[in-house]
Amino acid sequence: MEIQLKLYGSSQILSDTDTLNIQLPNNSNIEKLRNILTKIISEKYSKSNLENLPNTAAFFSEKDEVVNDNYKLKDKEFISIIPPIGGG
Amino acid sequence: MTLHTTIVKIEEDKISSDEAKKFIFSKENGAESIFIGRVRNKNSGKKVTAVTYDVHDKVVMKSFQSICNDAKKKFDKSASIFLEHAKGYVPVGEISILIAVSSGHRDEAFKICRYILEEIKHKSPIWKKEHYAEGKEEWLPGHSLRPKEEIK
Repeated sequence: MEIQLKLYGSSQILSDTDTLNIQLPNNSNIEKLRNILTKIISEKYSKSNLENLPNTAAFFSEKDEVVNDNYKLKDKEFISIIPPIGGG
Repeated sequence: MTLHTTIVKIEEDKISSDEAKKFIFSKENGAESIFIGRVRNKNSGKKVTAVTYDVHDKVVMKSFQSICNDAKKKFDKSASIFLEHAKGYVPVGEISILIAVSSGHRDEAFKICRYILEEIKHKSPIWKKEHYAEGKEEWLPGHSLRPKEEIK
């Protein structure tokens, strides 16, 4: 299956566009997505200071609600990655 | 109308304190408090030239409304609140956030301003990327929205 990850803040380094398509095994959850992001970052972006991002980021569902690690992802689902925030 | 909240795309528009003052004016409110946040020219020993603000528009707008309504309930139901936050590339010296409040008395006006600012920092998905004179840029650390019990 594949999901579309909308990128915000520091995660934007992971793609030239504002989304990243990620391949996942069927029935994956958010925890699996975190593991795959950790792998992508360690393989391709090890110098970008993002090692801790998969652990500290939250994820929003299509309804813009925070989802926990057990949340089951669906094929073609649109998910947003929310790195630690700091406006104002 | 006693509440105005918006995200301002700085490439297209500016945040105006005159507009804020007009909006919050009320003969029923004897106190006005205005907080203006600007991009400053240094941070952690580095010379800053600008900050880029990335914003999750939909969630930020919802959070602004909710934070301001909570502030009114908590401190003064008849307060008027004007809140604007910048989005995009903001050069040093320009306004990044403006919170203007009028209320019955000074204590509530100060408290509402402070409350809104602190809540935004912890609840509104906004990110800052600093641009430095040396040519580098860096996303600043922040507050995680991941459920606390899950963070390792």
